[in-house]
Amino acid sequence: MKFKCAELKEFEIVGRPLPKGDEKMPVYKMTIFAPDEIVAKSRFWYFLRQLKKVRKVNGEILRMTEMSNSSPTKIKNFGIWVRYDSRSGSHNMYREYRDVSRTGAITQCYRDMAARHRARPHSIQIMKIEVVKAADTKRPVIKQMHDSKIKFPLPHRILKFNKKSIFVADRPSTMQ
Amino acid sequence: MLYKRYIEIGRVCFIRLGDDIGKSGVIVDLVDQKHLLIDGPDGIGRKVLRLNQVALTDIKINIPRGCKTKTVRTAMAKEGVEAKLAATSLVKKFAAKNAKAQLGDFARFKNRVAKTASNRKIRSTVRKLKKSS
Repeated sequence: MKFKCAELKEFEIVGRPLPKGDEKMPVYKMTIFAPDEIVAKSRFWYFLRQLKKVRKVNGEILRMTEMSNSSPTKIKNFGIWVRYDSRSGSHNMYREYRDVSRTGAITQCYRDMAARHRARPHSIQIMKIEVVKAADTKRPVIKQMHDSKIKFPLPHRILKFNKKSIFVADRPSTMQ
Repeated sequence: MLYKRYIEIGRVCFIRLGDDIGKSGVIVDLVDQKHLLIDGPDGIGRKVLRLNQVALTDIKINIPRGCKTKTVRTAMAKEGVEAKLAATSLVKKFAAKNAKAQLGDFARFKNRVAKTASNRKIRSTVRKLKKSS
């Protein structure tokens, strides 16, 4: 079971079935989002086993590299294609998130799926993640940020409560 | 207008929580309703912060959305943001609070003695005025 206390990491894992003699074995590459290397390798074999006739016992990982963020200070719109198992069946979804990195967006996706659909990480499969241009985004939550003159106040701002002042003479001001 | 300070591109923010507490930066872009992309001088660089880590100031500069760090810094210099910030109550209060926390035991003693003396003077003057009236 995956635990995700922090942001997930992106791994590119390349593996192949073990050669039985001199024959050339096919090589498979996957992008896995996981909290650490161990889980990443495990998920790699899990998916590869579903797709091809190769198991961890009969295979080897040729390369595993952790992918770094290409532009960590540029905000991007990510479209994520997900397949998940609900209580009564399996469904495909297209979800959009705004973030600075792929791993940030995927982490948001897992949290969001857990919140909105009670989907646990083991029942979620990330099929594809892509940067989507602002004009091609579909979700209004994402589209609302695509305003070059975006501006909003912070009305009735309630900051972390200061326990030293439980009883005060005057009502605290919530004007920012 | 009821609200004078907005979350907008170019708004100068004071960072009140987190690793960069006490520093200030400019809002360069908005990730979503709860996250900002802030940029500032060498001290903080360009990073994503949560809305509640930040307090808004009255200062706003003119920068295009998502512009480069160099553009932000030249705009900040042109508008004299640093000087304006030093005059804001947020920065002044933070500096005062910091200074007080840094005081040693002797400094605290000196402050206490000075405060007692001044309070005594004030009380005696008030009493004299009350008696005379």
